[in-house]
Amino acid sequence: MGSDLVEVLINSIKIVTIFLIMVQVVPLLVWVERRGSAFIQYRFGPNRIGPLGLFQLLADAVKFLNKEEFVPKEANRFLFYLAPVISLVPGALAMMAIPFSVPLEIESLNLFGQQWGPYSIPMQGAVIPMGILYVFGVSSLATYGLLIAGWGSNNKYALMGSLRASAQMVSYELALGLSVIGAIILYGSFDLTEIIQAQMGSLNFNFMGGTYGIGFLPNWGIFYQPVGFILFLTAAFAESNRLPFDLPEAEAELVAGYHTEYGGFKMNLFYIGEYGHMIAASALVVIFYFGGYDIPGFTTESLTEALSAFASTPTQLSLFVSLAYLGSMILKLSIFLWIYIWVRWTLPRFRYDQLMDLGWKTMLPWALGNAIVTAVFVFLAHYKG
Amino acid sequence: MDATSLTFYFLEALILLSALGVVLVSNPIYSALFLVLSMIGVAGIFVSLEAYFVAVIQLVVYAGAVTVLFVMVIMLFNLEKEKKAFSQGFFSLLLRVGIIGAIWAVVASALKSTFVNLTPEDMPFLDNGGSGVKVLAETLFTQYVFGFEIISVLLVTVIVGAVALARAKGGTHA
Repeated sequence: MGSDLVEVLINSIKIVTIFLIMVQVVPLLVWVERRGSAFIQYRFGPNRIGPLGLFQLLADAVKFLNKEEFVPKEANRFLFYLAPVISLVPGALAMMAIPFSVPLEIESLNLFGQQWGPYSIPMQGAVIPMGILYVFGVSSLATYGLLIAGWGSNNKYALMGSLRASAQMVSYELALGLSVIGAIILYGSFDLTEIIQAQMGSLNFNFMGGTYGIGFLPNWGIFYQPVGFILFLTAAFAESNRLPFDLPEAEAELVAGYHTEYGGFKMNLFYIGEYGHMIAASALVVIFYFGGYDIPGFTTESLTEALSAFASTPTQLSLFVSLAYLGSMILKLSIFLWIYIWVRWTLPRFRYDQLMDLGWKTMLPWALGNAIVTAVFVFLAHYKG
Repeated sequence: MDATSLTFYFLEALILLSALGVVLVSNPIYSALFLVLSMIGVAGIFVSLEAYFVAVIQLVVYAGAVTVLFVMVIMLFNLEKEKKAFSQGFFSLLLRVGIIGAIWAVVASALKSTFVNLTPEDMPFLDNGGSGVKVLAETLFTQYVFGFEIISVLLVTVIVGAVALARAKGGTHA
């Protein structure tokens, strides 16, 4: 938790903050989704309440809280209440491992007659070794939220929806895990911060003893792992149950799938869980294939030098550097969140057998092939004759 | 009592109580859910031992994939008859106690023969960070490669067998 009181306090605040950020971003995303879908479909969307319809979010929140508290008569009360919580937790846990920026370095300072610090505060919920595996581990538990919701509400449609959902998530988890193996072999690490560090600077690599580079491109994973990127993005869509993979709640066939019987705030928790998954998945895409918080054209040293004109103390400088990287990460994250919304309102839904065929017969072999080809290339790159 | 042992006792209580729940609860859905809880507890024990890789694999494979299949299968079948047969009478109680005893004996003897006189230096793959995984992979793919390959052959056999059975019974995706 930390070596002294201040660190314990900072770590606790950080964990709460990241959870709150996740929860607070959801209404914003819902607004973007509704306005964006309206924009894509040549409609207006919510535009009446407040500037640009932004206060619609507040109205929605009040509505969610004021809805009737309802449990179906034959439902299993305990499981019915448990399911929304279980589907919220994995997304929140996954967010804790995402590094948003470089650590904030605070010099030692004298306060209240005592020497404090120096502190180095990592800009993530918790520094977790093997971050990527941890994220996969906790998000694989999200399936239970859907399964329990379907079973607990004692409704045919809900049960069918939840069975579909869990089959889909288990299938695509394989493709998700395998598609990222190429990148892991390339960076040689499970640690998300190390993976980002490996992508800093301009594009250059060693191959068979020689060094090659293209100066104007950043050293991002997308240039080494284009196939892996496409597979990972697709599987991430399927894992967060978003269109074109939202078979679990296919409203035309299954009413609303696993959350048919849910309303009000419990329904909202499912929403937050889904968007939390989306945010975590977007963050992973950014970290693996778009350099994480890396800013193209700058290394950490050159950025520090560029910003040193504005800062008077090392602590301030570190704060500025951290904020610059945080801004870069948030910008990239927003682009991918927009892509999620964009795709949702562009592509039609798959049929269930098409979905399973895509998962098992297309993505799994391609992901395996990608891993093997990458392994061969990495072996050749380290091979010195 | 310090934080480490407090965590340990908490996780142990979680594992043991939920493991008891698996065998003592009559509704199979609850059994499976207790199994998940117990698996998560085991993953927590691995984390407290700083064996992060094993912990995460425990989560992904057992809690995340295998038990999901259990739960799905249980949900698909209407197990009213089996539920009655296994939740009533002296014989079923005897059977359950016997099964617990047998599993207990196997696990205890396996643990006893594995962890005798073992020091942390004997288990370099429990090391933090990336090096532990590397050591684990090297051990697995050099020293124990035969066992590894045998297991993969076994798994392929099981997959082929399952597909063959499903086709012979006229499955939906023939």
